[in-house]
Amino acid sequence: MRVILRLLALFGRDGGWMTGGIVLACLTILANFGLMTLSGWFLASAAIAGLAGVAAQNAFNFFSPAAGVRFFATIRVLSRYTERLVTHEATFRLLATLRVWFYTKLAPLAPAALQGYRAGDLLSRIVADIDTLNLFYLRVYVPFIAAAVAALAMVGFFGLFSLPAAVALAVGLGVTGLAVPMVTQWRGNAAGADITNLNAQMRVEMVDAIQGMGELLTYNAAPALQARVENLNKRLISRQAEMSAITGAGMAASGLFGNLTMLAVVIAAAVKVTAGQLGAADLPMLALGSMAAFEAVAPLPSALQYLGQIRAAASRIFELTDQQPAIRPIPGSAPQLSHFDLDLRGIKLRYEDNAAWALDGLDLHIPQGSHIGLQGSTGAGKSTLINLLLRFYEYQDGTASFGGVDLRAFSSEAIASYISVISQRTYLFHTTIRDNLLLAKGDASAADLWHALDVAQLADFVRAQPLGLDTIVGEAGVRLSGGQARRVAIARAVLKDTPWLILDEPTEGLDPVTERAFLRDLLAVMAGKTVLYITHRTAGLEMMDQVYALAAGKLRQPGNS
Amino acid sequence: MSERIDPRLMAEGRRTRGALYFGIGLGVSAALLVILQAVLLAHLVRDVAFGHQNLAAVAPLLWGLAGLFGLRAALSYASEIVAFKASGKIKTYLRQTILNHVLKLGPVPAADEQSADLAGTMIEGIEALEPYFSRYVPQMALVVAVPLAILALVFPVDWISALILLGAGPLIPLFMVFVGYRAEAINQKQWQKLLLMSAHFLDVLQGLTTLKLFGRARDEIGIVARISDDYRKTTMAGLRVAFLTSAVLEFFASLAIALVAVVFGARLLHGNIDFYPAFLVLLLAPEYFVPLRGLSTHYHARMSAIAAARRMFDVLDIRVANTGTAPLPPLDAIDIVCEDLHFAYEAGAPVLDGLSCRFPAGQMTAIVGASGVGKTSLARLLLGFAKPEQGRIVINETLDLAELAPESWWQCLAWVPQNPRLFHGSIAANIRLGNPQADDEAVREAASKARALAFITAQPEGFETIIGDLGQGLSGGQIQRIALARAFLKNPQLLILDEATANLDLESEALVLEAIADLAVGRTVIVIAHRMAMAERADNVLVLEAGRVAAYGPPAQLRTADGAYARLLQAYEGDAEISNPGAELCV
Repeated sequence: MRVILRLLALFGRDGGWMTGGIVLACLTILANFGLMTLSGWFLASAAIAGLAGVAAQNAFNFFSPAAGVRFFATIRVLSRYTERLVTHEATFRLLATLRVWFYTKLAPLAPAALQGYRAGDLLSRIVADIDTLNLFYLRVYVPFIAAAVAALAMVGFFGLFSLPAAVALAVGLGVTGLAVPMVTQWRGNAAGADITNLNAQMRVEMVDAIQGMGELLTYNAAPALQARVENLNKRLISRQAEMSAITGAGMAASGLFGNLTMLAVVIAAAVKVTAGQLGAADLPMLALGSMAAFEAVAPLPSALQYLGQIRAAASRIFELTDQQPAIRPIPGSAPQLSHFDLDLRGIKLRYEDNAAWALDGLDLHIPQGSHIGLQGSTGAGKSTLINLLLRFYEYQDGTASFGGVDLRAFSSEAIASYISVISQRTYLFHTTIRDNLLLAKGDASAADLWHALDVAQLADFVRAQPLGLDTIVGEAGVRLSGGQARRVAIARAVLKDTPWLILDEPTEGLDPVTERAFLRDLLAVMAGKTVLYITHRTAGLEMMDQVYALAAGKLRQPGNS
Repeated sequence: MSERIDPRLMAEGRRTRGALYFGIGLGVSAALLVILQAVLLAHLVRDVAFGHQNLAAVAPLLWGLAGLFGLRAALSYASEIVAFKASGKIKTYLRQTILNHVLKLGPVPAADEQSADLAGTMIEGIEALEPYFSRYVPQMALVVAVPLAILALVFPVDWISALILLGAGPLIPLFMVFVGYRAEAINQKQWQKLLLMSAHFLDVLQGLTTLKLFGRARDEIGIVARISDDYRKTTMAGLRVAFLTSAVLEFFASLAIALVAVVFGARLLHGNIDFYPAFLVLLLAPEYFVPLRGLSTHYHARMSAIAAARRMFDVLDIRVANTGTAPLPPLDAIDIVCEDLHFAYEAGAPVLDGLSCRFPAGQMTAIVGASGVGKTSLARLLLGFAKPEQGRIVINETLDLAELAPESWWQCLAWVPQNPRLFHGSIAANIRLGNPQADDEAVREAASKARALAFITAQPEGFETIIGDLGQGLSGGQIQRIALARAFLKNPQLLILDEATANLDLESEALVLEAIADLAVGRTVIVIAHRMAMAERADNVLVLEAGRVAAYGPPAQLRTADGAYARLLQAYEGDAEISNPGAELCV
């Protein structure tokens, strides 16, 4: 419940649209209720007057109820249409609010908070979670509030005529709208969890089958996999059958209770009519009214289901955004630097309390203008050193200074204005090559961009594309090879033109021929800059002034290459 | 397009025709009982309000109604169960068929399909068919049956209101088709946009670190807001039209009820008609529109089923190439000759263009060449994953690979791809893929030969450690060595491997190379080499250029000759020395 309240607090800004949607939703339900009750009363009254002779016929006010019937019909049509427009408008506004809120929260936390979410599908789950949260208003909030308000009004209206009928309606609405769906959901919980789980297991098998097909076939393991899938499918179908029996029972029960409510209302009204305490015309009115009333609770079963999903999604999202930023830079204006020496002494950094030190007393001095190579195998602390320098993670011990200023004074944005990174993980946005380059320098001219592409040896490729700089990169456009993507990173570094350049395994995954060409072209960018070249291999280290070996979080031994 | 998918889907439905029709029949009966219910209720109200009868007098009607309610509930429950049974059978059948088909197609066409997408089709896609069969199709039956039954009842009772209903009824589908088609087109456009917007947001999140590195994280907030806002505006423009569908339905339903009430009111007032028929028609008028309303809510079930079915049929429509059936006789050694192989993925872009070569028994042959020259394609042909368009592959001078049953060919070879796949399960289970009957001792020995024993026993659960589907928690070199252990355990006559040392760190690279050298002893080995170090260790080197053999022979011989191999060595610029593992280990 606390999660839902937090979610509601986020929705504050678009209150006008949200309230409007609810008012219209109530109006839609009540207009139908009005149409049916008035029609029933009107027909019966007209029939009574018709039977009572000419005088009664003349005395009967035909036009007001007839106009009322038309009025309710018109209101119903208009409010249904505008309700859907307004609630959807509110939903889209909320989506924008939510995404901006989430992004604003997440940006200071990245990349530390997203460490566990590196894989693309986990991130897509977050995006899907945000989309799910967004359904809260449309699928949960509006149906519940509108049902509650409309139910109160309708029960109150019944109360004017017969208390037992009003009680019957209230109970009927409560049972079909809340009790039956809740019982259904509770009974379906176990099967539902199993279904999710079985689906996930089946997905693992299917992905195995597709991605590992060569090995499955050559090792003759496909029949075993098919048997496993068949078995999973059998279990899945039987659980789903169980689930469908539960929902089917819920639907049947809802219908049954709705009908029984109507019967109870008719009996309660009939007793009063027989006793002369209620007009004859009120009986058909209440009968039709009780049928129309159930429209209010019809969306509640699905609302209840959404509520469960939304609560789970909201918990995951809040868990993510509630994290503390990994670093807290010393407040104050960005440091002004006169030189760009880096000096690390006895640096210790670990990612969690009690974890092993990823950097364990690292001493490293990199004077401005030098080209330093750093070689180490997996787990030696190479990525941690980059996380330290880029201010993605805070260090726990030791002293670090950049340009003579304490490293703790820098935010990651501040340090990024001095350092460019070229790495195998260069991210290319699914947009034009131009936009991907402008990222590095927003006000770059076309000539600047072409110059950068020239240096990166990518200009010919881009020129060969029909759309040139406006070629879209990624799935919707042209796919770049691993080498080409890294050349975009070089072009970005040229545009950004920072005093420092970090090369983070820049040739990882390239074939040797491409690797060599790439390293050759890097030389052009390195001139005049301080360069830190980090690798687990040896290729390219010969281009450095000095090479250090990193092992277990500290330097092993200096040596000239 | 969607018009052609419906019949094909229904053809699938025919497999469970009995259950499907029975379920529909139950649903229609439950819906038709509503008419009987209205008749009883109208009698009841008339008898009490106008006949001045007390409750005791109308008790049979009350009991009748209660019984009817129970019957309706039972029928609706039964129809739900039966409808699921039918769709469950369809789902099972399609899932098996598609999986079989994909496995028959082999790895090459499957690689073209996005694997996540294909898995999605086989899981969520097939699930999307369920509401189509269990909701949409039965609803179609209701849309026809219920209004017709109501009209049939109302016509004899009061032809004027029957005409009103009849007039409103067919107009609705007409208007819905008119508005619906536009709405559908708009919907699909919106759907694309929605995907794009989600994709953009995902893109921004994935690139957040890059954005921060360029000091651009803050700017992107505005862009996220702007894109969401643009999307809202265009979507709402579309929805204004799309929602007309429901507005039209609402308009006719409300209009018909209001019209019935007003017209009856006037006639009742003048005593031209009894209360009973008027009330009966008023009770039935809303029910007349209920199935149509249901159809519009289940319409999106049809939309998503059709989208899913289209992807399914796309996969099922890929033709399976004919495979040979002859069993492979037991062979002691394997010698392979390729004669004039031609192969292309797309017409007009030959990958192999008249390639002839020989892989002698018991020797290691390295295939080298620049990327895109046909190395992988040649391996695929040798593995039988693809068929040459022309030419043939001959085993031991007598057997044509095309005529052999693929399963029996695979039995005598092991394949280690560049990125070996570890399957979800324990390390032991992954190694045992090479020989399911192998005992623990044999698995251990295979791991030891593959230089994998040390790191496996260092795992928390040893051989029983569960590894994720992508080998989570293991390094690239460790995954390679588990794959090699698999091959050791299989003990094949032929080993085909795609060298993957490019991404391994030096220590792993050394161990992998040692293991490969051990594994190669006494077998025919074909290795796609990406580094010259590997090629230099082979007995023979096959240099490919533009889908043909540019040079062939022992590396020592080729090195000195001024040919393709020497040029390649030149291009790799002494790569052999750099990846020499000894250099790093003695630092």
